[in-house]
Amino acid sequence: MLSHIPDAIELVDYIDDGEQARHYQFRLVNINKPSEKNTNNNTAKHHWQDAQPGQFFMLNVPSIGEAAFTFTEPPNEQGEFRALIRQMGKLTTTLFTLPKGDILGARGPFGRGWPLEKINKKNIIIIAGGCGLAPLVNLIDSLIDNLTASQQLVLIYGAQNKQAQLLTTERERWQQHIKIYNSLDEINDQYTLVENESQGTPLDIVDIALATFIKPATTALLCGPEIMMNSAAKKLVDNGIASDDIFLAIERRMHCAIGLCGHCYLNERYVCKNGPTFSWQELQ
Amino acid sequence: MEIYHLDDLSLLQQHLLAQYQLYQVVKNDDKQCSWQQQTKERNEPLIAELPQSSAKDFFFAEHENLLIFNGEYFQETLPTPAPFVLFGILSCDLTAISYQDQFFKDDPYYQARRQQCLLVGLDCIKPCQQGFCPTVDAGPGVREHTADIILHPLENHQWLLISTNDKGTEAIKGLSLKTCHWHFLTQRDLTLHQCEQEFTDDSDITQAIDKLNNGEVSDSFWQQLAVQCLGCSGCTTLCPTCSCYGTRSITDESEDKKVITQQRFWDSCLYEGFQREASFHNPSAEAGKRVQRFWQHKFGNEFFAEFNRHGCVGCGRCEQTCPGVIGVHSVMKRINNNA
Ligand code: SF4
Ligand code: SF4
Ligand code: FES
Repeated sequence: MLSHIPDAIELVDYIDDGEQARHYQFRLVNINKPSEKNTNNNTAKHHWQDAQPGQFFMLNVPSIGEAAFTFTEPPNEQGEFRALIRQMGKLTTTLFTLPKGDILGARGPFGRGWPLEKINKKNIIIIAGGCGLAPLVNLIDSLIDNLTASQQLVLIYGAQNKQAQLLTTERERWQQHIKIYNSLDEINDQYTLVENESQGTPLDIVDIALATFIKPATTALLCGPEIMMNSAAKKLVDNGIASDDIFLAIERRMHCAIGLCGHCYLNERYVCKNGPTFSWQELQ
Repeated sequence: MEIYHLDDLSLLQQHLLAQYQLYQVVKNDDKQCSWQQQTKERNEPLIAELPQSSAKDFFFAEHENLLIFNGEYFQETLPTPAPFVLFGILSCDLTAISYQDQFFKDDPYYQARRQQCLLVGLDCIKPCQQGFCPTVDAGPGVREHTADIILHPLENHQWLLISTNDKGTEAIKGLSLKTCHWHFLTQRDLTLHQCEQEFTDDSDITQAIDKLNNGEVSDSFWQQLAVQCLGCSGCTTLCPTCSCYGTRSITDESEDKKVITQQRFWDSCLYEGFQREASFHNPSAEAGKRVQRFWQHKFGNEFFAEFNRHGCVGCGRCEQTCPGVIGVHSVMKRINNNA
C-alpha cells in the first residue's frame, strides 16, 4: 500500500539565501527504518536513505497542507536533510513564520531523479533558471567530486536580477572546478557586470557555453521555467545533442506525489511518478 | 462459475441482509434514482435503472479523512465500514469499479472500503437512454470479472443467478437454490445480444475515438468547444471513472489540544485552477487544454494501453448533466462534424 502518511520532522534551522528564499534544515524525528518495526507509533514510514539526486519530498505544514520540494542535501544517517525553499504561496509563507524546533511532516523520496547512468563521465551542459538550480545542487556536488580529467561540466545560471540570485556560496565553490556563466534578465544602470556575467536570459549564452567545450557536450540537464527549458532543449538539439540525452526537471502542482490525485499530469503522464525528470525525447 | 435458478428474489435479499448492509437503486418521488440502504422490513423491488450518481462514492469517498496530526506525529485514519453489498449494480458501473480497482490498487483508503463490499450485478436487457456500453465493452451484460454474483432476469419474475467467484459462493451459502441447466446461459447470451442490437448507431463515437487518437482534433477546436464549459464539475462528479482529488487541512481547536485533520475531496481537472502552482504558473490555463485532457483520459490509446480498456464505460451521465455542450455524445458528434 502507498503511504499518505508523513513522518514527523523537526525544523532544525534555516538561513536566508537571496530574496525571499531560505535553506531549511530538517531532521527526521525518528529514523528507524520501516523494516525495524517497533511498537512506537512514530516509526519512520518512508525509505529516506534511498533518496537520489533530483528526487523530491512532500513537506507537510500541518495547518496548511503539503507541497513538493527537492532535496539540496538528501537525508544522512542522522536523518538530517536540507531544501532550498522560496516563499511563494500560503504554505511557504506559513513555513517562513515557523520557529526552529517546530514539528512538521515529510513524505518521500518520490519520483524519478536525474538519470545518473546517462550522466556520469559525460560532457555536460547544465542550464538552470531561478529556483531551478535547487534540484541540481546535490548532483553538481557529486559530479564535481567525481570529475575525470577528460570530462567537462559547464553551468549556465539565469536569474531575474542580482537580488533574485540563489545559491551564491555553492556557485562560488563550484566556480573553482567548473565554468559557470551567470545571466541576469534585468540590471540597473549603476551596475557593472562582473566576469562571466551577462545581461539577458540563459538562452543568450548557450552558444558561448557550448563553445567552451573542448570535446563537444553530449548531455544536457535543464531545470527552470518550462518555456525556458523548451527553448533551450530545441537549441541544444540544433547544436547536435541527441534528444534522449537532454533531461528536463518538470514542475507541477502536487497533492499526493503517488500518482493518484491527478494534479501533476503532463499529457498521459504524472510528473510525480513518471518524472519529475524527463528526457526531451519523452516529451515530444 | 456456478449457475442457479432463483424463484424468489426476496429470499436472496433477505439472505444477504442477514450478513451485509444492503444498498439498492431506488426510484425517488422526483423520478430520480439513487442508491439507498434497504432493511429487512422495507425492501424495494429491484430495478434496472442507472442511478444519477454512480457507486464510486462507496469506495472513493467524496470526502475522506486521510490522517490526523496531534502535534507530535501523523496517524492514518483508515475507514472501517461494515460489510456491505451493492445489490443490482449495472454493468457500466461495475466496469467502472473494476477500472478504479486498478487505479487505486495500492491506496489503503479505497481498499479498506472495497474489501468490505460484495458486488451483485444485474444484466440490462434494454438499452438505457444515453448509454453506449457495448461500444466500450462495458455492458449491457455484466462482465464476469467485474461482479461476485450476476443476476439475469428470466420470464415470470424468475432469475438466473451466477456466482463468479469464491466471494459470491460464500455469500449465497445456506440459501436453497436449484442448480440450473447450462442452456439458460445460452438464453442469457441471446437476450443480451438482442439488447445490444437495440442500441442506437454508435459510429459517431467510434469515428471520433479514431480521430482523437490520430491527432486530427485541433487545439482551436477544443478551445471553441471549451468556452461553453462552465467548469461546474458536474461531469467529473458524476463520471464513475473520474478520480482526481484535492487535499486540505482542517484544524480543530475546540478542546484544549489542537488536532489537525488532513482530508481529500473530489476535485475536477476541468477547474481553471486545477494545475495552478503557487507561482501562478498554470500549465492548463486554457479551457481547451483541460477539456482535451479530459477526453484524452477517457479515450486515448495511451490510457487504453495502461488499463486494457477505455477510461469511459459508456454510462452517458456526462451527457445527461451537460446536454449539448461537453457531454460525450455532443463532443463526439462535434469532433466528427467539425474537427
Ligand atoms: S450503459 Fe449499458 S450497462 Fe449502463 S445502464 Fe445503460 S444499458 Fe445498462
Ligand atoms: S465519460 Fe461520460 S459516458 Fe463515459 S463513463 Fe464518464 S460519465 Fe459515463
Ligand atoms: S501529485 Fe498526485 S498524481 Fe502526481
